[in-house]
Amino acid sequence: MKKRFMKLMTVCIMLTLFTSMLAACGGSSGAGSEGAKEADAGTATTADGKPDTSKKVTLNWYLLGDAHADTPKVVEEWNKMLEKDLNTTVKLNFTTWNDWQTKYNLLLASGEKVDMVFASSWADFFKYSKQGAFLPLNDLLPTYAPETWKEVPEQDWKDVTVSGKIYAVPSTYPEYTPDGIVYREDWRQELNVPEITDLDSIEKYMDAVKTVKNVTPIKGKAWNEVNTLFHAYYDFKNIGGDSGVIVAKSYDTPRDVVAYPFTTEFEEWVKRMKTWADKGFWTSNTLSVQQEAGDFIKTGTGAVYWRNAPGAAGFITDIEKNHKDIKMGYFPFTRFHNYAVPNLGINNGMAIPKNASNPERSLMVLEKLRNDPAYYNLMTYGIEGRNYKFDDKGAIISPAPGQDPAKVTSYSIASWGWRYSKNDHPAANRWAGEDKLNEEFKAETKPDIFSPILMDYQPVKSQLAAVNQVYQQFGMPLMMGLVPDVDKALENYRSKLKAAGVDDVLKYVQEQVNAYADEKGLK
Amino acid sequence: MSGFFKELAKNKVLFLMILPALLFFIVFSYIPMVGVYYAFTNFSFDGGLFGSEFVGLANFKFLFESGALYNLTKNTVLYNLAFIFIGNILQLVCAVFLSELAGKWFKKTTQSIMFLPFFISFVLVGAFVYNLFNFENGVINSLLRQLGMQPYDFYLHTAPWKYIIVFFNVWKGLGYGTVIYLAAIMGISDEYHEAAKIDGANIFKRIRYITIPLLRPTFVLLILLSLGGILKGQFDLFWQIVGNNGMLYDATDIIDTYVYRSLAINFDIGMGTAAGLFQSFFGFVLVVTVNWIVRKVQKDYALF
Amino acid sequence: MRAERSTIVFNVMGYVVITVLTLLCALPFWLILSGSFSAEDDIIRDGFKLFPDHFSIDAYKSVFSNPAQIFKAYEVTIGVTVIGTVLGLFITSMAGYVLSRKDFKYRDKLSFFIYFTTLFSGGLIPWYIMIVNYLDWKDSYLALVVPSLLSAWNIILMKNFMKSIPDSIVESAKIDGAGEFTIYWKLILPLSTPGLATIGLFLGLSYWNDWFSANIFITTESKYPLQFLLYKILASAAVLKTSIAGNLGADFKPPAETLKMAVAIVVTGPIIFLYPFVQRYFVKGLTIGAVKG
Repeated sequence: MKKRFMKLMTVCIMLTLFTSMLAACGGSSGAGSEGAKEADAGTATTADGKPDTSKKVTLNWYLLGDAHADTPKVVEEWNKMLEKDLNTTVKLNFTTWNDWQTKYNLLLASGEKVDMVFASSWADFFKYSKQGAFLPLNDLLPTYAPETWKEVPEQDWKDVTVSGKIYAVPSTYPEYTPDGIVYREDWRQELNVPEITDLDSIEKYMDAVKTVKNVTPIKGKAWNEVNTLFHAYYDFKNIGGDSGVIVAKSYDTPRDVVAYPFTTEFEEWVKRMKTWADKGFWTSNTLSVQQEAGDFIKTGTGAVYWRNAPGAAGFITDIEKNHKDIKMGYFPFTRFHNYAVPNLGINNGMAIPKNASNPERSLMVLEKLRNDPAYYNLMTYGIEGRNYKFDDKGAIISPAPGQDPAKVTSYSIASWGWRYSKNDHPAANRWAGEDKLNEEFKAETKPDIFSPILMDYQPVKSQLAAVNQVYQQFGMPLMMGLVPDVDKALENYRSKLKAAGVDDVLKYVQEQVNAYADEKGLK
Repeated sequence: MSGFFKELAKNKVLFLMILPALLFFIVFSYIPMVGVYYAFTNFSFDGGLFGSEFVGLANFKFLFESGALYNLTKNTVLYNLAFIFIGNILQLVCAVFLSELAGKWFKKTTQSIMFLPFFISFVLVGAFVYNLFNFENGVINSLLRQLGMQPYDFYLHTAPWKYIIVFFNVWKGLGYGTVIYLAAIMGISDEYHEAAKIDGANIFKRIRYITIPLLRPTFVLLILLSLGGILKGQFDLFWQIVGNNGMLYDATDIIDTYVYRSLAINFDIGMGTAAGLFQSFFGFVLVVTVNWIVRKVQKDYALF
Repeated sequence: MRAERSTIVFNVMGYVVITVLTLLCALPFWLILSGSFSAEDDIIRDGFKLFPDHFSIDAYKSVFSNPAQIFKAYEVTIGVTVIGTVLGLFITSMAGYVLSRKDFKYRDKLSFFIYFTTLFSGGLIPWYIMIVNYLDWKDSYLALVVPSLLSAWNIILMKNFMKSIPDSIVESAKIDGAGEFTIYWKLILPLSTPGLATIGLFLGLSYWNDWFSANIFITTESKYPLQFLLYKILASAAVLKTSIAGNLGADFKPPAETLKMAVAIVVTGPIIFLYPFVQRYFVKGLTIGAVKG
């Protein structure tokens, strides 16, 4: 019996070895073609210094999300122009929204020949760059995308620089996306509670909604509402993306890094949240449900919903259009501490995977797309006179007047990666409050000093995994006030965090922050 | 080795017939199996599979260090055992009834209907659970209130969830599994039953002494097949029903959900693969052991 | 008369158990059906109801918003399912037959070789690299059909079904001078109809339900199979509500909740057509009759 299995195992191991050899060969041939590509780049300019486009090339591009019904038409038009100008066509692929993270990772990890892909800080841009998934663009940009190279602000290039190399072309579209809540303003007036300006007024409002209206204020999934409110209220800042329980204690003290569950602020907060949960501001199964609180607002069974500023604008526009009896208000959390931080440029951008066949041409197309309104408008807004028309102020009316809205819809694909404010047009039917909000944010703007801190957690990744797990298992119910005994739960949470190695993670983050702060000359 | 070639020459048609299957598994399973090596590396895109830094067992650390592994393994194994045994027994009972009942139309219709849950996605299963058990207006609590009884907040107690989860899993696989047993019953020769009838055996006796023994190999086989995946969980089932509700994890946390939570914020190919490898290895040892025992007892029932 | 009383008892038990289980399976489905015809707001507010408060076909309108595409997707799915099932059944039954032959020396080893693949897997990435980089099947129908042809489960089940065929049949056929393939094709297959029907059903269902292959391999919209197209509609409906798409100008707001249910209904269609067809092969006595004849 034993001998039989030994034999079988030998066969399996031999097979594995054999196949490893195969794979290794595949790997080395990949490296070979990369070398060839660099040589290509060196010779790809003609005598007068202009990029050589004599060879016809088809590029393979990937965007997130779905194509629009009119995308084939748009791409066809677009390719006609491109072929004339750059002797290039683009095959535009979409990841669709199903499981897009998995697919995005597969595209990059498998080394497929993709010439350009959407990239973003919220799609792990920094991690992928650090692990070498993208092609460095420093040498290519001045030659193949000179206008972009000149016009993208210095700071934005810095933000996409990882270990000294530029790995993406960020969008140039300064934007504020602070957290906040939309709420039923009509109910606030009806219930005669004070305007929402701080945490106490939020509490009063929800209390009135619950007791008088008998409506659960944040129905469905309430985690985002509470978690973002917590961070904003105490001015706890995430460091280098979502940093879990590790935060900087305030904007003004970036070097003061703490694990917030150990602060007195957190203790005070969870005690308050326990009273909120007991009053029924959200339901006891809030952590199990997947339904958005916003859905319930639309049916009159909810009142409060977490949205970032553009999200709020979208939500309110939708309500104004489809639920005329409801009036919404918006309270951005920036008002707790009276400052707003604009997004990093790389909140949206375009990058070239390292296995791209034609990175030079791809950059040239991107250059056209960003800077030439003909290209920009077609790819971003669709076909003029069909999907959209400009009004006299240059705002977008979509679909174009005279089109049947049942057949032609406004053109929307995930075009965020090449957005350029110079060429961008607002929608004519946008929420009236949006411009005012942006004015408010602009007046109190401070640069984002936390997002560009590079974290890859490599040395502490198993501690981080354990901490994240504890955070979800014990931290989330505590934060939502769902535990029977707050003091006991808090003590348990803290000791579990310690055991998971939160101190190692804290130390790692502190080191990264210090290095960054030294480099930038922060206090 | 010469024995092998002799065998090959003797049975070359048989070898040819199984060749497509073997090739398939080599191409789509064995060669990609090199990927288990990810479990021992710090993955980087520069290096790819074999160029990335070798880190030994470091990627397994997060599973063992937390101290949760024992409880997780216990939960996963117990859930799977419940799924496997309750599921199989119920499927077997259904198949026996369906094969013996007379009403043709009844049999066909019920069999089709029992298949329906197979098509209901776990997202919708999650929605059912929510509608049945939520505190505010769930069906059960509304009923309790109407009867003048105290409503029960399921989402704050761990006890009921084991039963809820097992119920929905068994429910979802009922029709699917029944078909297997039904097909096996159809393979049983009618002669046995006829002979037993002449001997005056009633229907219970015939089932007890003919049908059940003849279904035993299938039953053992299905159990054995499932045992290999004993540490692998139905992630969607647990996720859609329990979600992020840490309050219930003592009773509902399995390895898959734990790994998902650990890596949700900072995904790592190496650690993900390491967790999978741990599950595989456990299942492998178990199935080889049980198969060995089965082989000792009744050679014919063994899987390999 | 004793035997008859026990039969009555058995029948009562049988009808009760089966009826109860059937109701448990039917009720949720009915609720989904009712939900798919409800107004979105009602579902969000009140959850499932036995009958819709406000009858609405909005969800189905969203599903069939582009009928040409749906029909194309049906074509793709049916094509893939039929080809995959037939081919898969052929290879599975051959392999199952060989493994069921007691005189085949390596049957245990090869069974293990096949079963082993269910235990260990290299994960998604190497598998994907194999299919995309080495076989070059990105955006090809082959990627939808071939990687799902076989499963160790099906082969081993097949082997189990075929084990119950008496050895004497093979023996006597051999004496008559029949070749191995002829024995399999002419004798074994006709005797294995319940098994073939079962495995065929499973294969058919897995092809029909498979959206994942299309999700990662197919990039051309006209090649989307039905399930993937429906999941894509669902996923977009869900994403439109999250903050990622905060700046997606979306005047198309599909009814996300009722849509889930409409999709479940549309997807379940085949069982209603396919299953009675399969049931025809679950006939007792087929085996023995053939042997005697």
